Amino acid sequence: MFNLPIEGEELFVLEFGDIVNYFSLYTTTLFLFATAFIIIAIIARPERQTDIIFGTDAVYTKEVSPDNLRFQRFMAIACGLATLGAVCSGDLFNFCLFTALIGITNIGIVAGVNNRYVLNAAYNYGIVAMVATTFLFGGAATALGSCGTLSIWELAGLGMVPLAAKMFLVLGVMGEGMAPFYIAKAEITRAPGAPYVLMIHVSSLLIFLRVIEIILTV
Amino acid sequence: MDFYQVGLFFTLICVAISFVALLRERDDIHKILVVDLIETVGLVLICLVATDLAEALILPGLVVGISELLMLTELYIRKEKLPLPTYKPIRIEVMRTAPPIITFVLIVYGIILSGFSGGAVAGIGLVFYFLCKGYEERFALLETVSGYAWALWIVAFFIFMIIPEAWLIAVMLSGSAILLKVSTKMALIGTMREGRNV
Repeated sequence: MFNLPIEGEELFVLEFGDIVNYFSLYTTTLFLFATAFIIIAIIARPERQTDIIFGTDAVYTKEVSPDNLRFQRFMAIACGLATLGAVCSGDLFNFCLFTALIGITNIGIVAGVNNRYVLNAAYNYGIVAMVATTFLFGGAATALGSCGTLSIWELAGLGMVPLAAKMFLVLGVMGEGMAPFYIAKAEITRAPGAPYVLMIHVSSLLIFLRVIEIILTV
Repeated sequence: MDFYQVGLFFTLICVAISFVALLRERDDIHKILVVDLIETVGLVLICLVATDLAEALILPGLVVGISELLMLTELYIRKEKLPLPTYKPIRIEVMRTAPPIITFVLIVYGIILSGFSGGAVAGIGLVFYFLCKGYEERFALLETVSGYAWALWIVAFFIFMIIPEAWLIAVMLSGSAILLKVSTKMALIGTMREGRNV
């Protein structure tokens, strides 16, 4: 596809004017991966954290309230859907929008947890994600300004997009995909409602893989 | 050197200045404001392209910026455990007598305009009414109306793409749907001050 080594075979093409949504072997792999994790988020039960009081026999389990559970599950599924959009969109700006949406839903997944450290980490990530949207939109706008189109289908293989725009895109995705770093920092993996946190890692991984494909293609 | 490059140069200077401001800022709530400044300067990058497409990209950019700002402020309120303010809201005479007539005029004018700008005008009328009069409103109802309007808007887009001959009905559908959508969303701003959800 596009005579480039990264894409693999062309599987499906859907044209909306000059914006062409396409599935190559590469994006289909990412798409299936994200779908699998959405299904996991739908069927998984939340993990209940067990605390042992040191020096005694007491063991207690933290309950996850149904409201909180519903909210986190919704946000995890929304994050998965945004990831699906980001990996299969054929338009630079749509990719940026979906990536920004991933940033918002990432915070939604952990915002329900009433833990000071978790909220602090989420807040700091939120600031990074907001700054990153500037780079994302800046990258897409610079590409539009210098090429006249945003369609990856039309730009593919031409090498017209300036290096600055590509750098902006990568910087933006780095900011939005920074979430696992903050998760490790605040140990959110062990916070109540853990399985939904997986979706943050998955989305981060997939948008990195997708942006690499985009900058090698355009 | 054309105007685009000159504009790009100055915008990047603005971005650099706002980043320095973010680096120097230590207070959390001020950080939100500075980050919003950075986002606004980022939108200027899109504005510089100055085509119809760029104009269409501004709106989603703005919406993403605002939703991230809302998210961050909600998170800040939750993080700092800030209570709702308990002071008495101001009451002046204009706020009791003016809202019905001004809101009526704005809504009628908004319906005539239709589309995004009409929605904004009608929404400002509703914001003014809610702010001044207080309200007892079912939020679920507003959200439902807004959701259906959004779905109609998308349907109109599909009509544009699939059967372009029926463009008139698509224009009418999207114009009225976006009017409803924008005005109900903006009306929520007016409900931030007082009142209750029934």
